[in-house]
Amino acid sequence: MAAVNRSGVVLKPRQSRLRRLIVSGRWVDLVIGLLLAIFSVAMFYPFAWLIFSSFKTGEDIVRVPVTLLPQKWTLAAYRMVLDPNRANLPQAYLNSILVSTGTVLAVLFTSSLGGFAFARLNFPLKRYLFYFILSTTMVPFLTLLIPLYIVVKYLHLLNSLWGLIVPSFFSSFGIFLTRQFVYGIPSEMYDAAKIDGSTDFMIYRSIILPLTKPVLSALAIFNFLGSFNAFLWPLVVLNDENKMTLPLILRRMADRFGGTDYEGVMAGSVLVSVPPLIVFLIFQRNFVRGIALTGMKG
Amino acid sequence: MTGTAKVLPVSGSPRTWWRRRGYSALGTVYGAFVLLFYLVFFLLPFGTAIWLSFHNWDFLTNPKYVGTRNFVKAVSDNYFWQALKVTATFSVFEIAIGVSLALLLALMLNQMKGKWQNLFLSLYYVPVVTPGVVSIYLWRWLYRPTGGAFNTFLASLHLPEQQFLNSPTQALWCIIAFVVWANVGGAAVILLAGMNDVPEHLYEAAKLDGAGFWRQFFKITMPLIRPVLAYQLVVSVIGTVQMFDVFFLMSGPGFSTRTLALYTYQLGFQSLNLGYGAAVSIIIFLLLLIATVVQLQRYQVTWEY
Repeated sequence: MAAVNRSGVVLKPRQSRLRRLIVSGRWVDLVIGLLLAIFSVAMFYPFAWLIFSSFKTGEDIVRVPVTLLPQKWTLAAYRMVLDPNRANLPQAYLNSILVSTGTVLAVLFTSSLGGFAFARLNFPLKRYLFYFILSTTMVPFLTLLIPLYIVVKYLHLLNSLWGLIVPSFFSSFGIFLTRQFVYGIPSEMYDAAKIDGSTDFMIYRSIILPLTKPVLSALAIFNFLGSFNAFLWPLVVLNDENKMTLPLILRRMADRFGGTDYEGVMAGSVLVSVPPLIVFLIFQRNFVRGIALTGMKG
Repeated sequence: MTGTAKVLPVSGSPRTWWRRRGYSALGTVYGAFVLLFYLVFFLLPFGTAIWLSFHNWDFLTNPKYVGTRNFVKAVSDNYFWQALKVTATFSVFEIAIGVSLALLLALMLNQMKGKWQNLFLSLYYVPVVTPGVVSIYLWRWLYRPTGGAFNTFLASLHLPEQQFLNSPTQALWCIIAFVVWANVGGAAVILLAGMNDVPEHLYEAAKLDGAGFWRQFFKITMPLIRPVLAYQLVVSVIGTVQMFDVFFLMSGPGFSTRTLALYTYQLGFQSLNLGYGAAVSIIIFLLLLIATVVQLQRYQVTWEY
C-alpha cells in the first residue's frame, strides 16, 4: 500500500537494498568491475613471479614444488647482476639511454620540422617527396633487414650506437602525424608572422613547436619505448658486449645464468623494465590521449 | 643562359624564378635532407633487396645472377611452406583471440567511470610497455615443464601437467597465449578510444526506442567503430607477420614455431644465403601488401591524407 504524506505526495514503498541495486542497474557495473579486476589479477600474475623470484636464492628458485613468495628474502641476485665482473648491466643502461634519447630527439626535430615544411612551406618536389615518404611505410622492416645491414656496414656504423640511431633519424609516421596536426593550426598565424618579417625558422620555433606539443609528446613516448625495447635491429648491428643495449645484455645474461642462476635473469629483468615503466607512469595520462591521437589518425 | 630561358618562359634570373615560386630556403634544405635520408636508408636497401632476390650471395664470393631461381626454390621448399603455415596460423589465431578479447575488455571498460577506467586501462597496458625480451624470458620460466608456475598451478587444481614449449603441438599455442597477453592492452585502448568517439545521443535515442544492450552493440557500436577495428586488424596483421623476438627466444622443438620472419633472419645471418633470404622477404612484402589492400577494401576504409 502506497503511503500518502501530509502534503499529498504518494510515497514509494521502501525497497530493500538489493532490490534497489538491481532496479537501478548498478549491479551490472559491479559485476563488470569485478570481472575487470579478476582479469587484472590474471594479467599481473606473471609479473608477481618476476618480482618475487628476483628476491629468491639460487636453490629457492628451482625448488619443486615452487612457491610464489621467497623462502628467504635476499638481494643476492641484484648484487650479482650489478657486479661488473659478471654482467655488463650499468654499461648497457648507459648505451640504452644514449640510443633512446638520441633517437627521440632526432625524431622530434625531424618530425616537427617536416610536419611544418610539408604543411606550410613550399619547396621543389614537395608533393612527390611526401607521397614517397608515405609509400615507404608499406614496406615491412623485415624486407629491408638484410640489405639495410649491408648499407650500415658500408657506412662503417656496424657495432656502434650510431648504427642504431642514424637509420631511425627520420620517422615517416612522425612526419605524417605532425603534418596533419600543423594543418589544424590556422594558416593566418603563419601569414601574419611572415608579414611581420619572421623567417621560417623563427616561425617554426615560436609558433609551430609550442603548438604541436601534444603530438610531439605522444611521438616522444612511443619512440622512446620503441627504441628502448628494440631487439632485432640491435641484435644484427651490435656484437661487442660493451656496446650492447639492455635487451641484448639480458639475452646474454639468460644464456650465462639461465642454467643455474635464473634469479639473476629475474633481477636483471626487473632492472631492465624500470626505465620504460617510469616513462609510462609519468606520462600515463598522455598515453591514452596519445594513442587516441596517433591511433585514430593513422 | 639561353638554355634556362627555354625551360622558363618567363624571363629573369634564377633568383627571381625561385622567389616567384615561393620556395622556402628552410623547406628546400629540409627536403634535400629527407630525400638523401630516404634514398640511403630506404630506396637503396629496398632496391638491393629486389636485386639480391635474383642473385645468390654468401657475403664472401661475388654475387651470382640466378634469375627467378630463388622464387622457384621457395615454391618447392618445404621449410618455406612450413614457415608460411606457422606464420598464418599464428597470425590468424593471435588476432582472432586478441581482438575479440580486446573488444570485450573495451566494452566493459566503456561501462566504467573515468577513474576506474583509467586504472584498469593502465594495468592492462603494463605488458605492452614492458620490454619484449623481459616478458619472453619470464614466460619461458613460467612454462617450464618441471617446477614451472603454470604446471604448479595445474597440479594444485589436480589437472595433468603439460609439456608446453617442449611439445611440438603445444609450443605455438603457448606463444599465441603469450602474445595475446602482451598485446591485448594496446588493442583494448585503441578500441576504447573508438567507442568513446561514438556520440552519446545515439545510445539515448536507441534506449528510448527500447533497444537492449546487444541491439545497441550490433546496431550502433560495431558499425561506428568499424574504421578503428579495421585499422587495428591491419596493424595486427602487419605486426604479427613481422614479429621476431618471441620466435627467436621462445622457440619450440624443431621447426614447429619457425615463422617466415625467423626463417628470413636465419637465411640472411646464419646460413648466409642472402639471395634466398631476400627472396623470402620480398614474398613477405607481397603477401602483406595483398592482405592490407584486401582488408582495406573489405572494410571500405578511406585514409585521409
